[in-house]
Amino acid sequence: MKDSLRQSMALFHTWSGLLLGWLLFAMFATGTAAYFQDEITRWMQPEVTGDADPATAAQGAMRYLNSVAPDAKSWYISLPNSRSATTQVYWQPSGERPAKRVETSALLDRGGHAITSRETRGGFFLYRFHFDLHYMPVLWARYLVGVAAMFMLVAILSGVITHKKIFADFFMLRFGKGQRSWLDAHNVTAVLALPFHLMITFTGLVTLASMYMPWGIAANYAEQTAFSEAVFGRSAETVPSGRHAPLADLGPLVRNASARWNDERVGYISIANPNDAAALIEMSRAPEAAFGARGQTATFEGATGRAIGTHQATGSALATESVMIGLHTGRFAEWGLRWLYFLSGLGGTVMVGSGLVLWTVKRRARLSDPSCPHLGFRIVERLNIAAIAGLATGIAVYFLANRLLPLEMVDRAEREIDSLFLAWLGIGLWGILRPAGRAWTEALAIAGACFAAIPLANAMTTSRGLLPSLLAGDWTFVAFDLVMLVLAAGFLLAAVRSAQLRTKAKAGAKPRGANRRATSA
Amino acid sequence: MTARNGTIGRGEIVARLIAAIPANYLLTSAATACIARLLWRGMGVDPANASVAATLISFALFAILALVAFGARSVVRLWLWLAGSGLTLGITLWFSLSAGARI
Repeated sequence: MKDSLRQSMALFHTWSGLLLGWLLFAMFATGTAAYFQDEITRWMQPEVTGDADPATAAQGAMRYLNSVAPDAKSWYISLPNSRSATTQVYWQPSGERPAKRVETSALLDRGGHAITSRETRGGFFLYRFHFDLHYMPVLWARYLVGVAAMFMLVAILSGVITHKKIFADFFMLRFGKGQRSWLDAHNVTAVLALPFHLMITFTGLVTLASMYMPWGIAANYAEQTAFSEAVFGRSAETVPSGRHAPLADLGPLVRNASARWNDERVGYISIANPNDAAALIEMSRAPEAAFGARGQTATFEGATGRAIGTHQATGSALATESVMIGLHTGRFAEWGLRWLYFLSGLGGTVMVGSGLVLWTVKRRARLSDPSCPHLGFRIVERLNIAAIAGLATGIAVYFLANRLLPLEMVDRAEREIDSLFLAWLGIGLWGILRPAGRAWTEALAIAGACFAAIPLANAMTTSRGLLPSLLAGDWTFVAFDLVMLVLAAGFLLAAVRSAQLRTKAKAGAKPRGANRRATSA
Repeated sequence: MTARNGTIGRGEIVARLIAAIPANYLLTSAATACIARLLWRGMGVDPANASVAATLISFALFAILALVAFGARSVVRLWLWLAGSGLTLGITLWFSLSAGARI
C-alpha cells in the first residue's frame, strides 16, 4: 500500500512538474530578479543618480500632473522608496475612452521632470512578468500563474513523499554521475531551501487570493466593495462636484502623514477628482516600512488638505495575510536578507530547471533507440532548451538592449521588452533546428556570452562601467556587473560540461547506456 | 505505468484527476464559504477577518485534497467521500445563507 501511494505521488509529481515546469521556471527566474528590481531599474537608468525625498518627489509629481492632466478622474503616484530615485505616476483621463498605458503614465525624476531619454520599464518589467506575463490579457495570465503556483505547492508536497529519502539524500551530491547527479541537484536545491519554496509558493497564492478563491469573501459579502471598504477603508468612488478648486500642496501632506506613522515613509498616493472641490487624497504607508505589506492609510480633503482620518485594517486574519504578502515580496528586507532571498530564489530556479532536465535524462536511459527518440521526448527536450537557455538569453538581451538601443527611440521601453522575447524565440528556434545535444551546448554558450557582454556594453556606452563604479564605491553598479559575470561564468561552464558529456557519450555509447539502465532500475 | 504492478489503470487516473482538480476546487470552495460563514455567524469573528481566514486556509485544503485524491486507496471510496462531504457542505451553506443575509 505504501509503495502504491508513493508510486502515484511520483506519477503526479513527474507529470504536473513537467506540464507547468516551463512556466514555473520563468516565474521563478524573473521573480528572483524582482528582489532587486529597484537596483536593476537604477542600472537601466544610468543617468539617474542619488536618492529622493518622498515629500519633494510628491510635490514634483503634482506639478507634473497639473501640467499634463489637471482635470483627470484620478491620479496615482508611486513615490520613490529608500532604494530608488524615481517617481512613477499614472492618471485616468476624464474622457470615456480608455487610453494606452504609455499615454497615461510617466516616470519622473526627483524634481518632477519626466525622464524621456533611455525610456525603460527596468526591473519593474521583470517583476510584473513574473505574475502578469506579457502579450496576453493580465487576467488570463494571473489565472495561469495561479494554476502553476497551486501545482507547485502540490508538487512540493508530493515531492517530499516521492523522494522518501529526501532528507538523507540531501547529504549526497554526486557530481558527474549522469542521472544520479541531476536527481541529486534537484533534491539538494529542493531541500536546502524547502521552507523557502513552501513559503514563497503559498504566499504567492495569497497575494492574489481573492482572485483564485473568491468564495470566502462571497459567503459573507454580497458586494465586493463592502469587503474592500472594511479592509482598505476606501469609500466608494467619490462623485466630482464640478466646481474647480486647486489641489492642496502634496509635499506638506506627505510629511504630515509620515509624522503620524513614526516617520515611516509614504509609499503611494492616490487622488480622486484632482482640482475639484470634492477631491480626495489618500496616502498609504510604504510597504518597505514594516514586515506586513499592508500598512496604514491617511485620507485628506483635496482642496483644503484637512486630515479626514486614518485607517488600519485590524484583526488576526488580515494581519496574517498582510505579513504573508510582505514575506513574499520581501520589500522590508535589508541587504543581507535581500541577498538571501535572491539566492533562495536562484535555488528554486535551479530546482525547477534540474527537475525539467531530469525528466529527459531519466527517459533517455529507457529509450529503445536513443539516437531516434519518440516525438514527445523530442518536444520536451526542445522546450527545455527554449525555457532554460532561451529565457536566460532573453533576460541578458533585455539588459543589452537597454545599453545598445538608440536613446531617443520611439516606444523604446517596449522595444527593450520585444528584444527579450525575440532573443527567447531565437533560442527556441535554434533548439528546434539543431540536434538536441549540440543545441544545449550552443544555447548555453550564447546565454553565457550575452551575460558576459553586459558589463562590456555598460563600460562602453556609459561612464559607469565596472572600474569607475568600483573606484567611486558605487556598489549597486559593481554588484550588477559582477552578478552578470557570475551568470556568464555559470552558463559557459554548463556549456563546456554539456560538450564534454556529449563527446564522452559518443566515445562509449553502448556501455554507458547499459550502465545507466542498471542504476535507474 | 499500468505494466509495473497493475495498481493504476487509465480510467482510474482520469477519475483521480477529476477528483483532484475540478471536484477538489468545488469542494474547497464550498468548505471555504462554510468556514467563512461559521467564523462570522457562529464564532463572532468580524466578517472581513472571517472571510480572509477561510481564504488563507483554502489553499492548504486544496493542496491536501489533491494529494488525497492520488493517495487514497480506493477510487470508489474517494468519490463517495467527496460527494458526501460536498453535499453536507452545500446543505450547510444553503441553510446558513437562508438563515442570515450577507452584507
